[in-house]
Amino acid sequence: MLSLRPRLWTIFLTGCVVGICSGLFGVGGGVILIPLLVLLFGFEQHVAQGTSLVALVPPTGLLGFLAYYHAHKVDVKVGLLIIPGVFLGGILGGKLAERLAPRKMRLVFAGFLFVLGAWQALSAFSK
Amino acid sequence: MHIAIILVLGLVAGILVGLMGIGGGIVVVPALVYFLGMGEHTAQGTSLFILLPPLGLGALAVYWKERHVDLPAGIACAAGILLGGYFGGKLAVGISSRPLQALFGIFLVFSAIMLWREAGKSPPAKEGPHA
Repeated sequence: MLSLRPRLWTIFLTGCVVGICSGLFGVGGGVILIPLLVLLFGFEQHVAQGTSLVALVPPTGLLGFLAYYHAHKVDVKVGLLIIPGVFLGGILGGKLAERLAPRKMRLVFAGFLFVLGAWQALSAFSK
Repeated sequence: MHIAIILVLGLVAGILVGLMGIGGGIVVVPALVYFLGMGEHTAQGTSLFILLPPLGLGALAVYWKERHVDLPAGIACAAGILLGGYFGGKLAVGISSRPLQALFGIFLVFSAIMLWREAGKSPPAKEGPHA
């Protein structure tokens, strides 16, 4: 257990960095956390994804949210309408993920990141 | 019509949440900007609002059943994200998001390439001969 501690501290610090990105970009952080868990800590893809979901169970974005709320940068009505779909879709997606082999899962995730990243970068440059 | 789009948007984001183990904000933010015409900051704030309830709980239950969860690591990350999120939020409200968005995109593309190489190199531990 003692030997686990330094690892957990490093993971905690990684979480801090992910949190800063989470507040900056308005995302949950999983999309940053998962590659870090895989590349820095050698997590298997499905375990990295499951662990990321644990990290997102508590309202970790609360403090970031409050900063936006005080600046009147929140649309509560639209937010409430999106919530039920995300919850139900999450169960569906989880079942889908468990049917994929670990290697294939990693490739699907990498492809997803690539498309999203390219989209973000391109739209930032073309604005 | 407007409401229908929003509901479908939630469902699509949710499928990605479960499939990829992510929070969903990464797809919700650009969707709010492109389909609903929200400003970048409002889209990000609304996304953080959506993520307040434990929406990934249903998906987590599926991963939990297959033992694909490292609980202590997840808790350590949650604590870090909570703390970091405060500073990130403060930082974001004061600045223009364009260079950040570019940086974020580049980070994602870089991670994708690293993960892709990782998958090609060797089968992950669970598939290996020691499993």
